[in-house]
Amino acid sequence: MGDPHLLSSAHPTAAAAAAASSSAREHPGPIDEDLAAPDPSPSVAKRPRVAAEPPASGGCVPYVEADVRALVSMAGGIYPLARAEALRGLTAVLEKVDPSSRASVVITECSYQCAVVLMRDDDNGVRLAVVRLVDACARNFSARLDFDADGYGDLMDMIFLQLSSMARDMCTQVRMEAFAALGKMQRVSEGVLLQSLYKKVIKTDSMDVSIINGQKLPPKLKIPCAAGIFSHGIEDEFYQVRRTACKSLGALAKFSTQYTEKALDLLMDMMNDDSEAVRLQTLEALFHMATYGCLSVQEKHMHMFLGLLVDANALIRDAALKILGLVNMPKLQIFKSAVDGLITSLEKYPEEQDIYGILFSIGKNHGSFSANIAKHLAKEITMASDGELILDKPRVKALLIVSISAPFSDDKHKKLNIPSIIFSHAIPLLEKVSCALGGEVSQDSLLSYLCHKGGMPFWENRSVSAEFGESESCNVEKVEIGAHVENTAKETKCLDEVLVMQSMKSILEIVEGSWTMRMPCNVCEVRSILRTCKEELRLLAENSSGSIGAFLSFLSEYLDAILFIVEIWQLIQLDNPYTFGLTSLDILLEKLDMSVRRMEYCYVGLNRVLEVQVLELSLIAHLFRLSKIAVCSKVVLGKLLWVINRLEDLCADGSCELSDFSREIKKACDTSPTGDNLIGSINNLFQLFRLKPTTDFGMLKVINAGLRVCDNNSENPLQYICGLPVGVSFKISLWNVSSHHRLWLRMTIGESMQHTFLEFSGFGGNDEVKSGSMVAPLYATPKACSFVLRGSAPTREDMEDRVIVWFNSLMN
Amino acid sequence: MAIECLVLGAGQEVGKSCVVVTIGGKRVMFDCGMHMGYHDHRHYPDFARALTAWGAPDFTTAISCVVITHFHLDHIGALPYFTEVCGYHGPIYMTYPTKALAPFMLEDYRKVTMDQRGEEEQYSYEDILRCMKKVIPMDLKQTVQVDKDLVIRAYYAGHVIGAAMIYAKVGDAAMVYTGDYNMTPDRHLGAAQIDLLKLDLLITESTYAKTIRDSKHAREREFLKAVHKCVSGGGKVLIPTFALGRAQELCMLLDDYWERMDLKVPIYFSAGLTIQANVYYKMLIGWTSQKIKDSHAVHNPFDFKHVWHFERSFINNPGPCVLFATPGMISGGFSLEAFKKWAPSEKNLITLPGYCVSGTIGHKLMCGKPTRIDYKDTHIDVRCQIHQLAFSPHTDSKGIMDLTEFLSPKHVILVHGEKPQMAFLKERIESELGMPCYFPGNNESVSIPTTQNLKMSATERFITSCAVEQGKRSLHKRNLICRTGLSEVIGSDEEAVEGVLLMEKHKSPKILCEDELLEVLGMERHLVQFEPMVSRIVAAVESELQRAKAADLDSDGK
Repeated sequence: MGDPHLLSSAHPTAAAAAAASSSAREHPGPIDEDLAAPDPSPSVAKRPRVAAEPPASGGCVPYVEADVRALVSMAGGIYPLARAEALRGLTAVLEKVDPSSRASVVITECSYQCAVVLMRDDDNGVRLAVVRLVDACARNFSARLDFDADGYGDLMDMIFLQLSSMARDMCTQVRMEAFAALGKMQRVSEGVLLQSLYKKVIKTDSMDVSIINGQKLPPKLKIPCAAGIFSHGIEDEFYQVRRTACKSLGALAKFSTQYTEKALDLLMDMMNDDSEAVRLQTLEALFHMATYGCLSVQEKHMHMFLGLLVDANALIRDAALKILGLVNMPKLQIFKSAVDGLITSLEKYPEEQDIYGILFSIGKNHGSFSANIAKHLAKEITMASDGELILDKPRVKALLIVSISAPFSDDKHKKLNIPSIIFSHAIPLLEKVSCALGGEVSQDSLLSYLCHKGGMPFWENRSVSAEFGESESCNVEKVEIGAHVENTAKETKCLDEVLVMQSMKSILEIVEGSWTMRMPCNVCEVRSILRTCKEELRLLAENSSGSIGAFLSFLSEYLDAILFIVEIWQLIQLDNPYTFGLTSLDILLEKLDMSVRRMEYCYVGLNRVLEVQVLELSLIAHLFRLSKIAVCSKVVLGKLLWVINRLEDLCADGSCELSDFSREIKKACDTSPTGDNLIGSINNLFQLFRLKPTTDFGMLKVINAGLRVCDNNSENPLQYICGLPVGVSFKISLWNVSSHHRLWLRMTIGESMQHTFLEFSGFGGNDEVKSGSMVAPLYATPKACSFVLRGSAPTREDMEDRVIVWFNSLMN
Repeated sequence: MAIECLVLGAGQEVGKSCVVVTIGGKRVMFDCGMHMGYHDHRHYPDFARALTAWGAPDFTTAISCVVITHFHLDHIGALPYFTEVCGYHGPIYMTYPTKALAPFMLEDYRKVTMDQRGEEEQYSYEDILRCMKKVIPMDLKQTVQVDKDLVIRAYYAGHVIGAAMIYAKVGDAAMVYTGDYNMTPDRHLGAAQIDLLKLDLLITESTYAKTIRDSKHAREREFLKAVHKCVSGGGKVLIPTFALGRAQELCMLLDDYWERMDLKVPIYFSAGLTIQANVYYKMLIGWTSQKIKDSHAVHNPFDFKHVWHFERSFINNPGPCVLFATPGMISGGFSLEAFKKWAPSEKNLITLPGYCVSGTIGHKLMCGKPTRIDYKDTHIDVRCQIHQLAFSPHTDSKGIMDLTEFLSPKHVILVHGEKPQMAFLKERIESELGMPCYFPGNNESVSIPTTQNLKMSATERFITSCAVEQGKRSLHKRNLICRTGLSEVIGSDEEAVEGVLLMEKHKSPKILCEDELLEVLGMERHLVQFEPMVSRIVAAVESELQRAKAADLDSDGK
C-alpha cells in the first residue's frame, strides 16, 4: 500500500464526484451498470429502492454520505491524531442525522464498522474516540429498534460486549467513557447483564445461542469479555471511573430484577470507598433503583446501611435516609434493625428532624411490622410506672412515630390492632406526625383522630361520639381521614405541571379581567386583587422548579410591574404633575423601570410573545416618564423609539401582531418627531393599553447568582489594616449564566461602591450552574475600626445574590 | 532471529525468580531471587550451569544487564551473591523505591538467617552495600539505553511499592517481563499500567493461574465489620502484619473508616520496621495510587490521624484498641507477645494474613480453631475470635488474561506459579486468545521466532499509481454504501496493488511499478514471441530462429 495520507486527501473529491454523478443520473452507479448489464433482473429489483431514497431522506443526504465516506477513509490513516479526529467527525455526523431516516441506517452501520476496526488501536485518543462513536452508533441503532426489533437484540448485546472489552483499557479516559456508554445502553439481554457483574464466566446455553445467532463474531468477542466488568469498574484506581461505573450500574437496573439484586451487593460494598464523590454517586444509584421499586434490602446489607446513618458526612446521611424511606424490607428483623439504626442516628444528630419523617414513611410502608412495634411499645408504656418513661427521649419518640404510622399503611387487607394507648401518647408528637404526612392534613383533624383512637374526649367530636357508638365512629373517622391523608399526600407529591399550569392560567385570567374592569371601578380593589394573585403565584413558585419555576418568578415580576403601573396611574391622575423634588411618583417610576429591566435581563430564553409583553411595559414606563416631566426629553424619546423599532422588528414576520397601543404610539411619534403629540394624548394612549398575559413560556430560565463568604460573621470578622487593600474571597454560584454574559461584583461600604469584573471562565460546572471562588480585592478600606461590606452580584435584586462581610481593623 | 529464554528460577514453582533472555544477541537477566523454602544448593539459581552452557568466560561478558523488578527476596535475594560472589560487574537496573528499600530487606534477612538458623554466611553486610552501589536506578516510563541496541523501560506494576514491569527491545524484537503485578488497585498502590506495545514475547507471573477472585470490597467490608464489632464490644484487635505494604493498606482502610464513623478507639503501630516503612512511604508518594497522589498536596495520607503513639506497656491497658504488630505470622517478636496476652479473652480479635508458613502460630490458627496452643513450654488458651484476611497483591487469573489480551503478544511464557495451575492457564491462553504459550521448568529454555521487518522504499510513480487505484475503488465503495451497506466495503480494502520488488546487493530494497523496471536497471526491452508451429514448417524456420537467439545472446552480453 502507498502513503495513506496521500490517499485520504484524494478521497473527498472522489466521493463527492461519485455523489454528484449518482444523484445527477439517479442511477446506482457505474459499477452496478457494468454488473447489471448482462442480466437486467437484479438491477430492476434494486433500482426503485435506490431511486426512491433521496426524496425520503432529504436533499442533504448525498453530502452527508460524502462526509462519511471521507471520514471513514481518513480513519484508516497513519496519523493517530487524524484518525481520532475523523472518528470524532463521524460521531458528530451521527448526532446530526435523524436516527429514524433510511440514511441514518447506512451511515450508522458504516461508522460502526469503522469503529470496530479501530477498537484495538495503539493510540489512546483513537480508542477514546472509538468508544464515543460506538456509543453514538448504539443510540442510533436503538432508535430504530421499534421497527426492526428481532435482529438487533444480538447487535446490541454485541455492542455491549465490545464496550465491555474497552472498559478494561489501560487508559483512564477510555475506561470512563466506556462505562458511561455502557450505562446509556437501551437494550441488553439479561444474560450479558448478569455476566457483567461476575468475574467468573456463567455458562448457560441460551446465552451462547443468542450470540452465535447474531452476526459472525470475531473469536475474541464472546461473553467472557463482559465478565465482571462492573466489579472491575468499581475497584478502579481512579475515582472518576468508579463513579461512572456506579452510575451505569444503577442506570442498567431498569432492565432486569435479577440483575438489580446482584448489583445491589456490589453497590453496597462501594459504601466503604475512600472517595466521597463515589459514595454519593452510589447512594444516588441506589436511590434510582429504589424509585424503580426494585430495591430489596437483605440482612447482610444492614450493617453497611446503618453505618451510613451515622456517617460523619451530612450529605451521605441525608441520602441514606432518603433511600431507607423507599426500600422494601422483607423481614421483621431487618425492619427492627433499621428502626434501631435510625434511633441511633437521631441520638447522635438530634438536630435532624427529617428522621421522624423517614421513620413514619418506613412504618407506613411496612404496616404489619410497625403494628408489631406498636404492640411492644404499648406493653412498655403500661409496664413503666409514672415518670420512668420519658417521652422526650428520642427512642420513645421514634417508636411512637413508627407505631402511629401503622394505621396509614397500605396493608388494608390486614386488620392492624394498634393499642389505644399509643394514640393517646402520640398526641404530643402531633406536629411531627402532621409534618411527616406532608402538612396536608390539618392538625385539628389529626388531633381529633388521635383523641378518638386514644379514647379521649375531644370537644369537636364529643357530640359525634355521643350519637354514634364509639367503635363505629372511630371506624368512620379512620377510613375518612385515612383516605384523605392518602389523597392529599399523593396530591402534594404530584403537584405536577398540569395543576400548576391550570392555576396559573386562572390567575392570569383574573389579572386580565381586573385590568379591564379597573377603568370604571376603583383602583384599590384592583390593587388588592393583584396582590392576592401575586401571593398565589408565590405559593405556586415554591413547589415548582425548572422552566415553570422560572416562568412563575417571571410572572410575579410582571405582576409587580403592573401594580406599579396602576399606582403610578393613580398618582398621575390625582396629583398635580408639576411638582418639584423627589416624589413618591419618582420612586415608583424608578421601581417600574427596575422591574422591567429585571424582566428583560434576568431571564434566558424569553420567547417572542413574552418579549413583546416586556417591551410594551417598558413603552408604558417611558410614556409615564414623558408625562412626568411634561417636556419631551430627547433621551426618553430616543429610548421610546428604540423600543418601538424593536417591537416592529419582532412583529415583522407576522408571528404576533403589533397591539393598538404600540401602533398608536408609533403613529404619534411618526407624526411629530419632537413628541409633542405624545404628551397630549397620553390619556388616550393609556386607555388603549391592554394586558395580554400568555402562558406559553418555552424554555425560560432564570439568571441567578449566589454569593457566599466563608468563615465570616459578626463574631468572626475578617482582619484588615486601615487604608491598605484587603482581599475578600467569595464563593460564587451562577445559574444559567452563559459565557457571553458580563457580570460585575459590587462591593458597597456605606456610600462608596466598588465594582470588580467577574471572570467566570475558570468556574467549574455546566451551563446551568457554574460555581467557583474568587478573591476580590477591596482597595479603599475605610479608616475605621470595623465596617460592614455589602457584596452583590446584581442579577435579581431580591434573591440570595447578596452577602454581608464583616471586617475588623487589626489596629485596635 | 529468535528470542532465547532460559528459566533459571521460578519455573513451575514460586520462589527464586530468575529468567535470562537472549534477545537480538543481548543477554538480559530479569530478577535474581532466592528460594526461601530451601537451604541447600537450590537456594539460589544455578548460575554456574548457565555460564558453562553459554560458553562465556565470566558473567560480566555473558550478560548485558540485570534488571530487578521489585524488592521481595524471591526477586532480589540472590543479587549480592551474584555480584559479589559470582563476580558479575555489569550494570544492574531497578526502580528508585526498590533501590531504597532493598538493602533493608536483604540485611534483615541476612541477620535472621544468621541469628536463628546459624547458617554460614553467604555474603556480608558490606557485600550488600557494595552491590547496591552498582545499581543504576530508573524511573517509570523512562527509556534506558543500556547499550547501542538494547533499550529497557519500566512500567508500573502495583504489587508492592516500586514494583515494575520491564519492557526490553533490541531492533525489532521486543518483550515484556512482568515480575509480580496486580491488576486491581488497593488502598495505597495503583493497578498495573502499561502501553499498548507490539510484543514478540510476554513473560508473566502466574501465582493465581486458576483463581478468580471476587470483589475486594466484600473482603474489606467483612474486615471492617469484624473490627468494628470487636472494638464496640470493648475488645482489642491484634493485626499481625509484615512491615511493608499490607500494614499501610490496612491502616489506611481503618483510618478512613474511623474518620467516617467518628470512632475514638486508638490504633497503635508496634515499633520497628513498620514506622520506618511509613517514613519511606511518605517519601515515595509518586509511586503510590492516584488517590494518595491527589490528596498528598493537602494531607500526607501516611500521617494517620487516628494512629496514636505506642509504648510496650500499653499492652496491659484496659479498654479497646487496635494494634499492628510484626511479624505477620506470629512466629515471634512483638506480635507473639501481644497474642499471648490477648488470646485468652473471647472479646478480642486476631486477624491473620492470607498466607502463613507451617510451624508458625499463624498457621496453627488458620488450620481450624484450636482452643489451646503450646509454644515453647508455655500454654496459651485461645478463646478470642479469629478473622482471616484474604488480601493478595498478586493479580488473579482474570487479570493475567486481561493483561495478555491487552498486550496481545505473539508468544507467552508463564513463570512464578504451580505447575498444574500453569497448565490450566496455558490451555486457556492458547484456546481463548490463540497465542502459543509455554511454561518451562527450571533450567529449561524456550526459543521463540521473531518477526524481522525489512525497510524498503517505494518510487514516486508506484505511490501515485496506488493512489489512483484507491481513488477508483472508493468510487466503487460509494455505490456499495448506497445499496448494501458495509461488509463488502470492508472487504475491498484488502485489495492489493501490483508492483515489482527489487532487491540488489548493497542497496536497500525498493518497490517499483512494472514499467519503471527497465529504466532503473538501465536495460532495453526484449520481446519474446511464441508462435504455434506445425512440425512441417519447423525445419523451415529453424535456421532463422537460431539466428535470432544468437542476436539475443549478443545483446545480453552487452
